[in-house]
Amino acid sequence: MKVSFPYMGCVTGFKKLFELLGHEVIMPEKPTQRTIDLGVLNSPEFICYPFKIMMGTYIEACEKGAELIVSSGGSGPCRAGIYGDVHKKILHELGYDVEIVIFDSLFENFGAFMNQVFKIKNKTPTLKVMKYAYLVFKMINQMDGIEKELKHLRAYEVNKGDFDKCFDKIKELYDKTYTLKQMKKTYAKALEMLHAVPVNIPPENKRVRIGIVGEIYVIMESSTNMDIEKRLNALGVEVENIQYISDWVKHHIIPRRFSKEESWKMFDKGYQYKSCNCGGHDMENTGAIVHFSQKGYDGVVHLMPFGCLPELITRSIIPQITEDYGIPVLSMSMDEQQGEANIQTRLEAFIDLCKNRSNKQQISPAEAANSKELKKEFAGIM
Amino acid sequence: MRVYLGIDIGSVSTNVIAIDENTNVVFARYIRTNGQPINSVKQGLRELSVQALSDGYEVSAVGVTGSGRQMIGLMVGADVVKNEITAHAAATVHFYPDVQTIFEIGGQDSKIIIVKDKIVTDFSMNTVCAAGTGSFLDHQAERLNIPIEQFGDLALTAENTVRIAGRCTVFAESDMIAKQQYGYSKAEIIKGLCDALVRNYLNNLGRGKVLQPPFVFQGGVAANKGIIRAFEEQVGHEIIIPKYFGVMGAIGVALSAKSQVEASGQPTNFKGFDCIELDFVPKSFECSGCSNACEVIKVIINGEVAAMWGDKCGKWSSSV
Ligand code: SF4
Ligand code: SF4
Repeated sequence: MKVSFPYMGCVTGFKKLFELLGHEVIMPEKPTQRTIDLGVLNSPEFICYPFKIMMGTYIEACEKGAELIVSSGGSGPCRAGIYGDVHKKILHELGYDVEIVIFDSLFENFGAFMNQVFKIKNKTPTLKVMKYAYLVFKMINQMDGIEKELKHLRAYEVNKGDFDKCFDKIKELYDKTYTLKQMKKTYAKALEMLHAVPVNIPPENKRVRIGIVGEIYVIMESSTNMDIEKRLNALGVEVENIQYISDWVKHHIIPRRFSKEESWKMFDKGYQYKSCNCGGHDMENTGAIVHFSQKGYDGVVHLMPFGCLPELITRSIIPQITEDYGIPVLSMSMDEQQGEANIQTRLEAFIDLCKNRSNKQQISPAEAANSKELKKEFAGIM
Repeated sequence: MRVYLGIDIGSVSTNVIAIDENTNVVFARYIRTNGQPINSVKQGLRELSVQALSDGYEVSAVGVTGSGRQMIGLMVGADVVKNEITAHAAATVHFYPDVQTIFEIGGQDSKIIIVKDKIVTDFSMNTVCAAGTGSFLDHQAERLNIPIEQFGDLALTAENTVRIAGRCTVFAESDMIAKQQYGYSKAEIIKGLCDALVRNYLNNLGRGKVLQPPFVFQGGVAANKGIIRAFEEQVGHEIIIPKYFGVMGAIGVALSAKSQVEASGQPTNFKGFDCIELDFVPKSFECSGCSNACEVIKVIINGEVAAMWGDKCGKWSSSV
């Protein structure tokens, strides 16, 4: 069957899984302006932003002939739970004959989960399915690890654009990897490539670190958040995002009892501020802000889709967390109307604020040289 | 005499100022931007160059802030290019070291900046709506047929208070018409509008923040006495209006440029007043490379492409 899925962060892993299961993969496009326009046009006006973008992605996939779309579901009281059904209804109304399979957490309804697995496993023997799943799981873990490091190092790249080019090449490598043995080589090669990129790392007391928390889709998919991580990196700031595909998988697949996952610790840290999760990831996010503060980060950027209920709740707790832990938090809401100049100004001001607070403001020679080369520094700011 | 330049490009006005070693403002021009930031900066610099020649100024640093700051920075050869929030705060802290809350209301944007021990600890900026900005007042003044300059004084003569629902310009307008029909005087209506603006501003930007005195109010709208009084009533405290309230952003960025040049020990990047004569043309086109259809902007200096930006993929910006 021709399978597709939403585009969210790095999608090489998904592609691999479906290929191994013998499906023809319709690669979703990284959301472009057209995707967003299509999605906005065909979605209910007041639904959350991620819904609209996924809508656009699905329509584009259907245009290319997708027959099955695999996505993840949400639990709890927010709108994530209705995504799949409403998407399906709209696609059918548009005349696309497409099936949507939604994966929920393994533990809430094991039977339903297995049912979904049977829908996509395409006559592959179960043992093989497990093997493939393991391979892909490992792959996304490795790739996420690389990406994490990249978001630190990119802050210090000497030639603008080096790391992005490097990561594109790494993705290509993984794309051509099909066995565990190959993967070992790929991983070594990828790390080598990553570390070969020239960087100029300042002394420890001058490094500025920013954590990113928020609604999973807008923090993971750069096209929906105006490339916020890249913008921060371009300001010379290291970025640590709390959401990665691999983390999500671990959180939902490994029972809590056996899990050393950070996400559960975040949950515990969040509990001091509220007694229940309000849907989405508001509990983890609340906890994550505390966590970043305890780890000595200089600030946190909180991203939410316009109108996202769970994250509005996180946002309302932020002043309290800042008061208790002293960590500055910039909360921004994202939607299709977002202006670029405004975001850039707020980010720059926020980084100035964080640096000043942690006393990292002194002008470094690098910065002085930088302003000499304003021209090269042009990061699209108008 | 050494001077330090600050340029603040706003959507309504462009401010060009020069300060001396002791932060005395020796030159200040306020030019309508009219959608042409390059021309208004050039005009400001041209006027400055005349004064610089007669008074013997030596430009030792240049800072640029505001919208389109990168581009103008490129044109003049800026030592520092800073966002508006940092720039405004830098100036206020310089003049009022113990300030804790800065209100800034300009033509099309507004901000609240919270400061503690001379350090910005929090800020917010209007993102969606112009109801808390100067253009709201301009618009209503026009409707009421009162020159905006008289607006504030008139508000002070009001005897009664009328509450105008001012969540957004459209609502305020219809509410204002209704109140006019009820027989409220112009002065009362105007006072009502000032109150509405400040209420909006504090509700939208001050939410979740603790606002503590000393309060400093700056930006173009700080010229309006009606607004100042509305602020004093609503925060229940005296409000300080800096002498140079209209050009604080420019002063702030001039101060940053000064300290940057002093710290680095390097000479300024300033291209000299000749940059006014540069043939500096920004052009934009829609890229057809993929369905993002980015609006790419390129800046051409004397016939050569000097910079490009606006592309999502880096295909153009990395080509120069
Ligand atoms: S988490 Fe927020 S954006 Fe996501 S579905 Fe729920 S309400 Fe919508
Ligand atoms: S600049 Fe790049 S991202 Fe933008 S439309 Fe052209 S090819 Fe696409």
